[in-house]
Amino acid sequence: MSQSTSIDRSAIRRGITDALPLYVPAVPFALVIGLAIVEAGLNPLAGWSGSWLIFGGAAQLTLVTLLGSGAAVIAAITAALVVNARHLMYSAAMAPTFQSQPGWFRWLGPYMLIDQMFALASIEAGESDPVSFRSYYLAAGATFWTLWQLTTALGIFLGPAVPEEWNLEFAVPLLFIGLIVIGIDKWTKVVAALAGAGVTYLAAGMPNRTGLLVGALVGIFAGTVAERMSR
Amino acid sequence: MTTFIASVVVGVGTYVSRAIFILALAKRRIPDSVMVSLQFVAPAVLAALVIAVLTNDDGSVAIGLPEIGAFIAGGATVYKTRNHILTLVVGMSVFWVLRALL
Repeated sequence: MSQSTSIDRSAIRRGITDALPLYVPAVPFALVIGLAIVEAGLNPLAGWSGSWLIFGGAAQLTLVTLLGSGAAVIAAITAALVVNARHLMYSAAMAPTFQSQPGWFRWLGPYMLIDQMFALASIEAGESDPVSFRSYYLAAGATFWTLWQLTTALGIFLGPAVPEEWNLEFAVPLLFIGLIVIGIDKWTKVVAALAGAGVTYLAAGMPNRTGLLVGALVGIFAGTVAERMSR
Repeated sequence: MTTFIASVVVGVGTYVSRAIFILALAKRRIPDSVMVSLQFVAPAVLAALVIAVLTNDDGSVAIGLPEIGAFIAGGATVYKTRNHILTLVVGMSVFWVLRALL
């Protein structure tokens, strides 16, 4: 167990230098979340608390925009949780690597398992021993975490300075489109996205934005069916 | 207070979804049928969200030519460049121009 607190300095340096360029695409996200908190009229500190309580951009953005748009709290929470359900895949994929790690790291590591961390850690897992992996993971995770807290806070401070007529709240769906396009690697995901959007459109009149959940479920179902049929 | 409590709930749920296999079910595998469906969570939910955030309080959806034009321009930009900042710049510009013209 004396190994459990050892560190590898070069892995720490690599973790930081790998995380920095990957963070750049997340900067507009962080700023838009800050803006969305201001726009939604939420308590800024309560809105920002999601940055460290959730530490996941898509779920936090979902939560604050839906809370701000008058959705039922339960619908907003459910939608945010559904958005983050993809992390189950990351957890399952990383589980074997974490088995050779000490208990404290198996508890702390998952908190940092954001999309970018999964991308970095899956590569690192195949290439380094447990001590180096842990040093690399913690360094990259701490880098992402610190930048995330700072840039979402920055968005909150910049928010009030943005003129209303710029309609910057439109940046939110635009960023979601960006995430969809980047994630699409096969046609069945296009089916899922179109079904999700189409059904949500048809169900838009449902109370408290619950049409979103119906649309999301139909989209997941449609993608699954398309996948089955193509095999 | 509601916002903070909602963030706590989502935070706990998110942590559980990231931790469950690492902490508790390391020897278990997600059944293949569930794995197939999980990959569609992100595209389906994000697309549903696009519509949800454009929905007005009366249940109408504020999606017209400026929005569609911006989505196409932004989608093409991110597809070509994988750059979210450029995507925002292009998408917002198309949105502003179309809205001013129409």
